[in-house]
Formats: sequence, structure tokens, C-alpha cells
Amino acid sequence: MRALGPGSVSSFLKVILDVVRWVLVLSAIGVSVGIVACLLMSFNPELLGGSVDIGDIHIKGAWLGPIAAAALLAIDLYLAGALVIVGRLRRIFQTLIVGDPFHPANVRRLRIIGAALAALELGRYLFTGVGRLFAHSLRLARIDAGGVNLTTWFAVLVIVVLAEVFREGARLRGEAELTI
Amino acid sequence: MPIRVRLDRLLLERRMSLTELADRVGVTIANLSILKTGKARAIRFSTLASLCRELECQPGDLVVWEPGPPGEPEDDGPEE
Repeated sequence: MRALGPGSVSSFLKVILDVVRWVLVLSAIGVSVGIVACLLMSFNPELLGGSVDIGDIHIKGAWLGPIAAAALLAIDLYLAGALVIVGRLRRIFQTLIVGDPFHPANVRRLRIIGAALAALELGRYLFTGVGRLFAHSLRLARIDAGGVNLTTWFAVLVIVVLAEVFREGARLRGEAELTI
Repeated sequence: MPIRVRLDRLLLERRMSLTELADRVGVTIANLSILKTGKARAIRFSTLASLCRELECQPGDLVVWEPGPPGEPEDDGPEE
């Protein structure tokens, strides 16, 4: 089983990434429509069902629309970050399919993936922090999603190192191209 | 880089075209052009030997070191 080139594992993974990309795009569009709908319906809270019960906390009235819209906006931002990562991964896999893994552009793509992953993680902390503050002050729901995810930070560091490996590979490729 | 390739001078002296040399040496014209314009980063011994054989010269006739202006790096190749 070949790892690079047409009809290889890279080619198969690229197809999966294409599917994931379309799922993410459609999800992002759906969530965006949901945000607009929540904001519009916040003018008439009865359309949203009037109230929502989360555990022993009861959310009702005018807060329901804005809270739902904020939650959906966070999901949309998360999907946008995931789209950036998947988009760059697709382009990297395109270079793998043509058998050119050390294309100079892959270095930048890997760095963007690392930065996007770190931004998503930091965004999660920010959203959780703001959400906790908001929920505490309004005595709404409790938010339990703010722990530091060491796996994500480990992945970010691995990607940064991989980007440097690819940079060195791209440099050697450039030298090989200009060796007569 | 202070290494200069004097391929154009040797071709002129031998009244040989770049295409003819490329055919004789078995290197593409594009690669010989890179060598001639000084854009090459390195040259294989096998290529150097073939060029010397066809041009009837020594490596020192083909490749010379000329000191560049002060501050010019020895190796000014692209980083990425």
C-alpha cells in the first residue's frame, strides 16, 4: 500500500477531508441561519417556546434568544476554525497525491494549522470564561467545559515541530532542484 | 556567491552552442542555462566531468572563485 501518489492512502484521506469540509460548510451555514433566526425570534420569545429548563435552572423570556444566538455564534466560530484546518490539510494532501510532500507552501500551511488549533483552544477558554461569568451573574446554567486540554497543546507543539521538519525538507528540495 | 561558472566564455571559445553541449553531456538545456547564469547551487562531479570532457578543459577553467564585495555571504541561497 502506497502512502504517496495517485490512488494511495493520501488520495483516500483527501476524499475523506473533502467530505468533512462539505459537512463543515453546510453545518456552518445551518448554524449561521440559526443565529439569525434566534436573534429575530428574540423579539418574540414565545416563538422559541417561552422557556428552557437546564437542570434546576429555568431560562425564560427575553434572554432565551440572545443566549441561544451567542451559543450558536461560538459553534460557528469553532466550525470556521475547523474549516481553516481542514482546508489547509486538504491542500497538503493534494501535494502528497502528486508526490511532492516538501512543497514550500506546506510549511506555511502547517504553521497555519498549528496556529488555528491554538486559537481554537484559546477561544474555548475565552468562551467558557465569559460564559461562566455571564451564567454566574444571571444565575443561569453552569458551564463545565473549561479544562485545559493537554492533548490539544501537545498536538500544537507536534505540528510546530513538523512545520520545521517540512521547512528543512523544502530547503533540501530547493537545493536538489538547483544541483546540476 | 563568489563562485563563478565560465560556461559562456568556454562555449564561445569552442564555438559550441548550449543546445549542442546539452546533447553531448546529457543535461537539459534548462539545467545548463541555470549553470550558465550562475543560479546553480551545486554541481555534481559526474556533470563536471562530462562538461570538462566535452569542452576539453579542466574544472578550474570552468569554475573559478572571485571575491565578492565585502559583506556578501559565501552561500546566498534561498532559505525556503
